[in-house]
Amino acid sequence: MRSASLLALLALVLALVGAPPNAFAQAESPEANAAEGEASQPALRDRHLPAPTNATNTCASCHATLTDPKLRAPAHDFAKSVHRDERIGCVACHKGDPRDPTVGAHSKAAGFNPHPTQAEVPGICGGCHSDAAFMRRLNGRLPVGQLELYSLSLHGRLTAAGDRNAPTCAVCHGKHDILSPSSPRAPVNRANVAKLCGGCHGDPEMMAKYGLRTDQYEKWTKSVHGQAFRAGNPNAPTCTGCHGAHSSAPPDASSVARACGRCHEEEMGFFEQSPHSQGFRERGLAQCVACHSNHDIAPATALLVGTTPDAACMKCHSHDEKPRKVADDIAALLRGARDKAAGARAEVAGAQEKGIHVAGASFALDRVATAEMRVRGVVHTLDPSKVGARVAAVETAANEVSQLVATAERTRKEERRGYYVALALASLLLATLTLKAFQLRRRRLGEP
Amino acid sequence: MSPQDERPAGWLADRVGWAGIVARLSTHRAPRRSFVFYLGGITLFLLFIQVLSGILLVLYYRPDPAHAHESVEQIIGELPYGNLIHAVHAWSSDLFVACLLAHMFTVVVRRSFRAPHELSWLSGLAALVIGIGLAFTGAILPWTEAAYTHARVGSQLAGKFPFFGEWLRRFLRGGDEVTLGTLGHAYGFHVAGLPACLTLVVAVHLFLLLRKPVIRTDAAEQETIPLYPEFIVRQAAAQVGVLVVIMTLAIFAQRNLGPAADPTQPTPVGAGPPWYMLPVHAIVRDAPTELLGIDGARFLVGIACFIAVLVAALPFLDRKGSRVTAWLAWTALLALSLLAVHALS
Repeated sequence: MRSASLLALLALVLALVGAPPNAFAQAESPEANAAEGEASQPALRDRHLPAPTNATNTCASCHATLTDPKLRAPAHDFAKSVHRDERIGCVACHKGDPRDPTVGAHSKAAGFNPHPTQAEVPGICGGCHSDAAFMRRLNGRLPVGQLELYSLSLHGRLTAAGDRNAPTCAVCHGKHDILSPSSPRAPVNRANVAKLCGGCHGDPEMMAKYGLRTDQYEKWTKSVHGQAFRAGNPNAPTCTGCHGAHSSAPPDASSVARACGRCHEEEMGFFEQSPHSQGFRERGLAQCVACHSNHDIAPATALLVGTTPDAACMKCHSHDEKPRKVADDIAALLRGARDKAAGARAEVAGAQEKGIHVAGASFALDRVATAEMRVRGVVHTLDPSKVGARVAAVETAANEVSQLVATAERTRKEERRGYYVALALASLLLATLTLKAFQLRRRRLGEP
Repeated sequence: MSPQDERPAGWLADRVGWAGIVARLSTHRAPRRSFVFYLGGITLFLLFIQVLSGILLVLYYRPDPAHAHESVEQIIGELPYGNLIHAVHAWSSDLFVACLLAHMFTVVVRRSFRAPHELSWLSGLAALVIGIGLAFTGAILPWTEAAYTHARVGSQLAGKFPFFGEWLRRFLRGGDEVTLGTLGHAYGFHVAGLPACLTLVVAVHLFLLLRKPVIRTDAAEQETIPLYPEFIVRQAAAQVGVLVVIMTLAIFAQRNLGPAADPTQPTPVGAGPPWYMLPVHAIVRDAPTELLGIDGARFLVGIACFIAVLVAALPFLDRKGSRVTAWLAWTALLALSLLAVHALS
């Protein structure tokens, strides 16, 4: 039980950053010693996990008692990290000889490395995390391609070129205090990662060298994606949603639709069939971004299309006769769909205000919303007849809502009529009884 | 009516002994003036309306927290006449409590509790307690935010009763807290336990009324009218009048259902007690934390219980029906009204 949970913990521990097991394997198996020095190579076949009884971490037990905070803190941080496991120990990354309880543990012969350089870090982490056979023994669900993806990414290429600013594993994941990405406190957790990226990409001094803007984070928070993210939508993209994590690279003008299309599949398909697809490619325009922009994507409303000064179409087509007409036609259709849908919602709200519950209204309104969403997709074809067909679907759905409301109101009216009849009958009975009471009174008093 | 009379009406009259009933009723006399003599009958009539509309509601109500609010929404929103039946039930419940209180008040002011009506008085008080219990449990059933607060605060107040308060609180809640059990308990009390008790108490009350009529047979002839048919016709007219009022209220003053209860949310702003609890609310809300070494609210509720015991013992404490009692009743009405106004401010 205990060893099973330890193993599970270890598996988790190794999920993120490589703890080169060759280091402790050296305490365990002679074959692993042969592999020493090849830690950055992914395919080490003879890696072993030491048996728990052989595992010691004398580094931590000594460092935790030191008075210099710089030397003490790593021992404390490590104890709280995802890698906390005495079988990984400090030695996994720093090497040395953990069985020696004295300062002799800092054995140069055992490859002791107190300060891994920026260039060394990816290799150290990747030593374990790229070894599929080794990682599978810990946890088959852990990915192993991070180092490879990283080396393809812009960050990885800059690191390889010796750029001291480029982030390595430790910059995003942390050093001694690495947490699992699923931990809410981890900087790479989905909730925190946009801030993490913004930390460097929002620094004008650092970004000046690369000629990059620094307002992406701020723009994203205001965008439709950032708003949805903040509202807790689990599908809303943060930085890594479009740029990837280990393979981070900016999508270029010709491929951005692929990034957007991962979620906005239908829109991408329609766009690629449209005249824009060819035209944008010829002019080097950035597909989706040309109309929607990238980080500060506004909600796609009917206002985006048309010949008003703010409309996206007018960025390129302000003087073109035919495109202007198409834009006007589609804009009119979109307005029609929008008004029809808004009308249906207002009808239901109005009935509810009168205390009339419209049975089935919420499903019918959902159908209207879906139809409206489908209109937005087909706009990318730039074909008014196709847009018109989907606008007609909105109208059909909205008419269904109107019918439901009308039925509910008619039923209410009939009910009222029946109720008024009952009220009238009760009043009639009241009048009869009152008359009878007077009649009895007159009779008692002996009046005629 | 002869046994040969085979017309349908005559046949029925013969079989039920109508002539005998009429003869018996005709020997009774009823007061000629004053509306107060109709209050008891109106209260009873309101109870009938409650039972009838309640039976219709219970056909669709689902007494579990997951579905209670939804089922009331369905009753109001989807079922034919559902909103009106719900409104009739709600309005007649308010009027029922109001008429119970008014009936009791007029009995005190007119000192009608005197011998030989001690048992009528006591059974009437029991009906009042059960009636308030019905209103309390009924207000919990829609499981709205307000209903949840109502259940919590009401049972908390019950916990302040001397001696058996803690037990009562747990009993009403069906546990230590307002939970799933609370709704089930409220439902059981509202549709079965309390109506059964009330039926019994009302039956006793009516039996005692026939046994010891309020108007003695030796009362002056010109001050009285025959119970049958004149008083009964007037009574029926009063009852139908109340029906017309309730039906009108139900259609023009709808009773809105609030949002569903969410026990994870704090007490909604502006949550207030039902009108008949306003004086109690004022007392408990503004009670000092401690009085004579015990919890202030507990102390005041204890005093209120003591006063309630005195009120119940009224026919035995004030055998002749002193004017002081009537005067005290008016003072109490004034004090309670002031407290209610204070609670609203």
